[in-house]
Amino acid sequence: MSADTPTAPRAPTAPGAPTAPTPPGAPTTPGARAVDLSRVRPYADHLDDGIVQLSFTLPVPYGLAARRAAQEWAAQMGFEHPEVVHYQELTAGYTHFVMFAESRQRVDYASLSEEGFDIEYMSEEQIEQFAAEHIGRPIVVVGAATGTDTHSVGIDAMLNLKGFHGHHGLEGYRAFETHNLGSQVPNSVLVARAIELDADAVLVSQTVTQQNLHVANLTELVEIVEAEGRRRQLILTCGGPRVSNELAKELGFDAGFSKGTYPHHVASFIVRELAARVESTTAAAAQGAGPWDVDAAEDVNG
Amino acid sequence: MAEAVPERLSPLLSGVRSLALVGLAKNTGKTVTLAAILAEHAAGARTVGVTSIGRDGERRDVIDARIEKPSVRLQAGDLLASTGALLRASGLAHERIERTGVRTPLGEVVLARLSEAGAVEIAGPSAAADVRDLAERMLDLGAEQVLIDGAIDRRAASSPAVADGLVMATGAVLGEDIEDVVEMTRDAVDLARLPAARAHDGRHQPAREREEALTLDRMLVLEAEPRAIAALLREHPQACSLHIEGALSERFLEGLLAARRELAGRELRIVVADPTRVFLQRRGPRWYARQGIAIEARRTIGLRAITINPVAPQAHRFESRRLRESIAAAIPGVPVLDVLDSA
Repeated sequence: MSADTPTAPRAPTAPGAPTAPTPPGAPTTPGARAVDLSRVRPYADHLDDGIVQLSFTLPVPYGLAARRAAQEWAAQMGFEHPEVVHYQELTAGYTHFVMFAESRQRVDYASLSEEGFDIEYMSEEQIEQFAAEHIGRPIVVVGAATGTDTHSVGIDAMLNLKGFHGHHGLEGYRAFETHNLGSQVPNSVLVARAIELDADAVLVSQTVTQQNLHVANLTELVEIVEAEGRRRQLILTCGGPRVSNELAKELGFDAGFSKGTYPHHVASFIVRELAARVESTTAAAAQGAGPWDVDAAEDVNG
Repeated sequence: MAEAVPERLSPLLSGVRSLALVGLAKNTGKTVTLAAILAEHAAGARTVGVTSIGRDGERRDVIDARIEKPSVRLQAGDLLASTGALLRASGLAHERIERTGVRTPLGEVVLARLSEAGAVEIAGPSAAADVRDLAERMLDLGAEQVLIDGAIDRRAASSPAVADGLVMATGAVLGEDIEDVVEMTRDAVDLARLPAARAHDGRHQPAREREEALTLDRMLVLEAEPRAIAALLREHPQACSLHIEGALSERFLEGLLAARRELAGRELRIVVADPTRVFLQRRGPRWYARQGIAIEARRTIGLRAITINPVAPQAHRFESRRLRESIAAAIPGVPVLDVLDSA
């Protein structure tokens, strides 16, 4: 999910300006300083310098020994040339640090973006246009804070017209028909509404803690949708402060949205996923029954 | 009592083509059980196919990063479902057989065959219908057995429409008192082993009254409005068999029990498609049977074994043998094993 953007340490020139990202797999020309997306590392002053900004607190009194401790810690983390650029006493016995340091590690972005790992976010206008072209009817989204969760603020921010931070919710889009069921909705009632409204997508918010209770409520929703034979038709998304895509996979949802998510992120995922499902259903119908035939789900679904 | 419990799982699984592993909660040891089955198959040189409805083989728990997870080790020739990124991260030589077109939050699922042995993360389809299709494909490609690992407490992939065998994982994480763990395990096993729906044998109803079988409206069952349930029972005073096509929630059962006047002592049996369609949190099938509501399934699940994890991560632990014996005493007819401790 989109992370909170930290302030850039040395105000590098606009990212991407000197070197436009090369499409995955394109040959890299050293002279042109093209980005090799299969081996990227952090960027601060110039491409490939690997410089990152670290911000953290140590439970030690402010002083030169504290400064040295921060440098040693960063070195143990594998950073090279760790440099303390700012440090100050937070309160007695605690010192906060801002550091720059270099990382030699690289990551293969090219393969990740090729493999459908990414959700390509669109602006509201792009979403409206995409939906008009690929779906061509209102997309029905049902949302709720389920189970015993009384916090509807997350679901309200995503669905209601008002939205938040100046991004209005899905209700404000022409592409969506939204139904916000509020909080403390039992899973079976949510599924009943989704079936009744012939929903395309369900969005639930849930505070996940280490207690089994909360995850069990999310898995139950997925399992009831399975029991009703709707799992392949219905897009299931969940959001909450600790919901990552990794957790969403375990829970059985199609996507998980965490802190820093705006309504257009959720909307982008739903329209793209729905378009992909419409496409594969049409392709399967054109091919007739095959090993991956969507209609073969009927047997499983009773 | 005192049935001999085998030390190994694979003999209990012979003849099973697609085996589902289901945990009663997180950290009940599903992946440890999977690893043990894989090791036995490797020793027997049997080719397997492996998929997970969640993710397997990750280093750390997705909710509590303090918990380290076991790795999943496969042999050359084994088939697996994972994403391209996870396959690559394993560093193992493999052949990509096909892209499945199944999209997950971690990327599209790829069906691959390993060319060398090693540890790899598994992440297959989530939806039961996709899992069934994938398992069929793996069997066609030569897997002698397909292992379908569960995630958290999800049961849908253990439906008889998907798998033909089940291993359940339970453990100390369910409660601090061993009695609670035993009781919750027994309720879950009762649910997985719901009796097959039988033809009416006259035991539930005096022969002179004509039994009426009803197929219930799905909306009525899901919404479980007490007034609607009472009205249904009033309209059908002879109804004793209620057939439900979709999900049966605890709210609906509670609605039935609340309609005392309409039930008037009538005993009911509720017939569902299979045990994965029933959702109980507070009470087990045994308790409802005592209240006069018997739950039966048109298709049943073959529970082959129960495995236990006597350790609750970051909390308490029980003695393995004591937990095994307590569960075995409460749940006859199913072998109970601790794959890490057979003493």
